[in-house]
Amino acid sequence: MNKKTNNLKWHLLFIFTIGLISAGVYVASQSINYKWQWHLVWPYIIDTSPMDIIAQGDATASVDAAGTLTLTYDNGDPDTVISNASQLLVSEGDFIYEGDQIARVDSVRSGLLLDGLYMTLKISVISLLFSIAIGLITALMRISANPFFKNLAILYIEIIRGTPLLVQIFIVYFFLGTVFDLDKFTAGVVALSVFTGAYVAEILRSGIQSISVGQMEAARSLGMTYPKAMIYVILPQAFRRTLPPMAGQLITLIKDSSLVSVISITDLTKAGREVVSGSFATFEVWFTVAVLYLLLTSTLSWVIQRIEKRLASND
Amino acid sequence: MTNKNYTGDDIVVTKNIDKIYPNGCHALKNVTTNIKRGEVVVIIGPSGSGKSTYLRTLNQLETITSGSIMVDGVTMYDEGTNINTLRENIGMVFQSFNLFPHLSVKENVMLAPLKVSNRSKVEVEEEAETLLTRVGLAEKINIYPTQLSGGQQQRVAIARALAMKPDVMLFDEPTSALDPEMVGEVLDVMKSLAAEGMTMVVVTHEMGFANEVADRVLFMEEGELLVDDIPENIFGTVANHPRLQKFLSNIL
Repeated sequence: MNKKTNNLKWHLLFIFTIGLISAGVYVASQSINYKWQWHLVWPYIIDTSPMDIIAQGDATASVDAAGTLTLTYDNGDPDTVISNASQLLVSEGDFIYEGDQIARVDSVRSGLLLDGLYMTLKISVISLLFSIAIGLITALMRISANPFFKNLAILYIEIIRGTPLLVQIFIVYFFLGTVFDLDKFTAGVVALSVFTGAYVAEILRSGIQSISVGQMEAARSLGMTYPKAMIYVILPQAFRRTLPPMAGQLITLIKDSSLVSVISITDLTKAGREVVSGSFATFEVWFTVAVLYLLLTSTLSWVIQRIEKRLASND
Repeated sequence: MTNKNYTGDDIVVTKNIDKIYPNGCHALKNVTTNIKRGEVVVIIGPSGSGKSTYLRTLNQLETITSGSIMVDGVTMYDEGTNINTLRENIGMVFQSFNLFPHLSVKENVMLAPLKVSNRSKVEVEEEAETLLTRVGLAEKINIYPTQLSGGQQQRVAIARALAMKPDVMLFDEPTSALDPEMVGEVLDVMKSLAAEGMTMVVVTHEMGFANEVADRVLFMEEGELLVDDIPENIFGTVANHPRLQKFLSNIL
């Protein structure tokens, strides 16, 4: 009972402290005369502004009684018919030139930040799958008795862990990208997977080596080959044991993906930068970007905790 | 490569086995003995005498430096001998059980028949249930190993080894890691196996079991096989070897 009231006191203190920090941020921004304009950020998440429709070539416009606009192109291309326009910018018989705005259409579409979030999600998920595959293969090579595989794995891990990710991204993009003619997205995925793969390899290696020798001996004495013993006995246990450090590494991967913005992939970070230069709502945009990253990482963290709990119930 | 149709009398033939570890430790010195079909052989000796090492050479968990081993008529280390198929015929039970903690009791027993022998799941499941009933664990089939007592775990380990229908069972100090009150249940299972005619090689400190069940007792010390005799002569009033006598007087 006493314990509970005690805890309540600390919870209140926690809420009070958070309030204090928020107030501090507000006061600080007041002191530099910053005017918060959160409404400027919203269109960059969900864009509800009418969409302009641009003429694809020189044409003649005709509008019927129902308000349907038909463009008949001079070069004989199939007609463009627009029946859902909220506003027509041309009238019957107008001559239209290529690139003219001819109408506006109501639309709800994802804004730049949401597109950036999607790109970050896409590049992270693809890199995550590749990095686990690379990590698994490297871990198995690392513990192999064969000096060729073992040294190759050690060399790879040491090089990757000893150089900054940003430098690796530049090397992959400018060197490998030029040699193998990679587009920037592929280059980004390669750099992130190869980087994270080295860390995943070390995590998995420690996991595999933490399984007692008796497990391998028991599996082998039942007649299993080394690969079968690995697949059915050692790896399932190693994966379970390495789940917490693996979660940390994969969350790091999502955050590190912000570095691919330097090779002009429009991920969440680059989208943030573009939105700032368009809206001048610097503080609001970066806070929003941070929250969106937090959304991704906390979701992944939650999923892995669920898996961990489910597996733990078996023990 | 496994010779399921092997009908010879000797299941295990070991000739002049030497094992020297890279650090120079001479673990086995010129060990020669045969194990006949249906025979229960118990190996005793002080710790560090090489008895576990000898047992583990029989399914090549330990390699040998020189000599020869033949199991089921198949010569180990021969070119063309597949150790994995040979091991399918050699069951092994460990001191520390080594059950697979991520699999249920039933899955532990079913894993090798399914993944090594590629047999049908229905058939394997039925056999697993029969085996687990036989070791007295019919109600525990869906439980995970960590929820079992040591004695129960060791009985699952025996069922797991039996699931491959081996010709010979190796026991490496199967009761040494158990609380005293659980030793009996494991020994009972082993006794019933022996009564059914299973060929068994048992490394143990349970002299009562050796005396009661063994057809032959091997006494090893410092890597040498010093005495190879029937239990009556080993545990008789006067053991016929001074070092054996000393060992027995120390532990009895």
